[in-house]
Amino acid sequence: MKKGRWDLSRRSFIKVAGLSCGYALVGARMARESVAAVLDLVGLRQQSVYGADANPKIYALRKSQENPMVKKLYAKDGFLAEGPCGHHSHTLLHTHYKDKSMFIKALKKKGIELAM
Amino acid sequence: MSEAIKKKSAIQSMDLSGVQVDASGAVRKMEGVKNTIFAPGVNDLGNLYFLEVDHTLCQGCGECAHHCPTGAIQETEDGTRSIVDPAACMNCGQCLTHCPYGAVTERVSYVSEVFEKLKDPDTVVVTMTAPAVRYALGECFGMPMGTYVGGKVHSVLRRLGFDYIWDNEWTADVTIMEEGTELLERVTQGGKGDKPLPQFTSCCPGWIKFCESFYPDLIPHLSTCRSPVAMLGPLAKTYGAEQTGKDPKKIYTVSIMPCIAKKYEGLRPEMNASGQRDIDATINTRELAYMIKKAGIPFTSLPDEEPDPILGMSTGAATLFGTSGGVMEAALRFAYEAISGKTLVDPSIKAVRTGKGINKVEVEVPGFGPVRIAVVSGLQNAAKLCEEVRAGTSNLHFIEVMTCPGGCVNGGGQPMDDSILEASLFKKMMARVNKRFTLRKVA
Repeated sequence: MKKGRWDLSRRSFIKVAGLSCGYALVGARMARESVAAVLDLVGLRQQSVYGADANPKIYALRKSQENPMVKKLYAKDGFLAEGPCGHHSHTLLHTHYKDKSMFIKALKKKGIELAM
Repeated sequence: MSEAIKKKSAIQSMDLSGVQVDASGAVRKMEGVKNTIFAPGVNDLGNLYFLEVDHTLCQGCGECAHHCPTGAIQETEDGTRSIVDPAACMNCGQCLTHCPYGAVTERVSYVSEVFEKLKDPDTVVVTMTAPAVRYALGECFGMPMGTYVGGKVHSVLRRLGFDYIWDNEWTADVTIMEEGTELLERVTQGGKGDKPLPQFTSCCPGWIKFCESFYPDLIPHLSTCRSPVAMLGPLAKTYGAEQTGKDPKKIYTVSIMPCIAKKYEGLRPEMNASGQRDIDATINTRELAYMIKKAGIPFTSLPDEEPDPILGMSTGAATLFGTSGGVMEAALRFAYEAISGKTLVDPSIKAVRTGKGINKVEVEVPGFGPVRIAVVSGLQNAAKLCEEVRAGTSNLHFIEVMTCPGGCVNGGGQPMDDSILEASLFKKMMARVNKRFTLRKVA
C-alpha cells in the first residue's frame, strides 16, 4: 500500500510523540525554574532588606532625619551649617549633567540600530 | 559610638604581606566572572569598555541581548554577541549576570591597586560600602541567598586593613536630606523654571547615563544630588579628614558596590569636588569576595561589628536604597514629616514596595494632599515614564528609577544565581547545537 504524505508509521508516530512530550516537559520545567530563579534571587534579597529595616537590633532608627551623625553634620556649628541644599552642600554634594545624545546620534548615523 | 572606635583600634588587621597581588592585565575569575586587572584613570574614560564578550566562550544564545535595555549587545558576523560601542552601553551588567556561559567579562578591576594601598602604611584607606552589598556577600561564602551580613562586612573590611569603615548608608541618609529638601523646593515653586516636576532620583549611574544619552531634554528633571557614594567621596576628603585629623591627600576612597556602572560614575570628570578625585577606586561585591578569599579571612565565623560612626552610622531608611522602591520610601519618611510637621507613626510605607515594572502611587500627606509618585526599575520601563514626562502628560511629583530589575540587590556586580546556570541547561544544549550548525566561524 502506498503511503500518503501524512500517513505515519507506528515507528515514526512514537518518535514524534516522544519528542514532543520531551520538549513539552523539559520546556515547561525550564520555564518554571527560570521564573522561580529570578523571583527567588530578587525577592529573597529584597525581603531581607525590608527585614533589616524593621529590625530594631540592626537599625535602631528608621528615618534619615533622626540619624545623630546626620544631625551633627547639619548642626549650627556643624560642617554643613547652612543645612541641606545650602551653598556648601551645592559645591560638595550636588552635580550637573551633560547631554550625551550626540554619541548615540553618531552611532545611529553609522547605521547601528539600538533598542531606543 | 566611642565603643566602635575603641573596637577598631583593638582589632589587628590581617598581615597582607604574603598576599600575591595580581599584575595589571592579568585575567582572574572572581565568583565565576572573568575580570581583567586594570585600574584606569579619569583620562581613560573616553572609549573605555567596562564589559566585553569573550568570543571563545560565547555560544550565541542571545540571552544577554534579551536583558540589554538599550540594545547595545548585538550579534556579530560569526554569530557570537558583542557590545557595539561603549556609548551605547549603560554598564548595568545585566548581560553578564544572565549569561549561562560566563562569557560576558569585566574589563576594569581595581582589586590589585586596592591591595597595594592597603599594604602601604602611609595611605589612609577608607571604605564606602553600598547597602545592597550586605544582602549578597554572604552568598559567596555559602550562606543562604539574601542573608543580611552587614556586621560581618564591617568586620571583614577592618581585618583587610581599611583604616576607616565609612559607609554609603550614612550618605544615603544625607542624600534623603538633600534630595528631599530639593523636592520640597521644587514643589513649593510649583515646578516652574529650571526646576521642573516631576523630580527624578539620581542615585543610579546606569539611569543617569541613560537619561543623558537618550533623554537629554529631561536633564532639568534629574535631582542635582550626587549619589550617596559620590557624596561620601568628597565628604571623606573634607569633613572626614577634618574629623580624623588626616591629610586629605593621603586618603584613598574605595567604593564597594553591587554594580558595574558605579565604576563609570567614579571616573566621571566632574567627580572632583574635594579638590582631588572624590572616588579613587570602585570594586563590586564579587571583587570584595575575591579579596577576602585571597587574604584567607574566614568570613562566616567573623563577629558582627559597627562601622565607624562619624561617617558610617545609618538608619533603616538608608538601607532601603538597596531595593527598588527604597529611595522613595526613605524620601517619603522625610517628606511626610517635613511637609506636615507631624510624626509619621508607622515608617513602613508598603504601597511603594514593588518587585518589578512600574508602580504609581498616591501618598496622602496631611496639610498638602496627595503626593504622586512612581517607582520604576528596568530602563525600558523608565523610558515609558520618560515619554510621559516629555509629552507633558505626567502629573507626578517624584519618580524613582533604578536600572536593574528589582533594584541594586539584583545589580550587575552581585554574586550570580547558580540556578540561572542550572535552569538554562536546555537552552544551553540548544545553543550548542545551533552554534555547531549555524555559526559561520571566520577562520
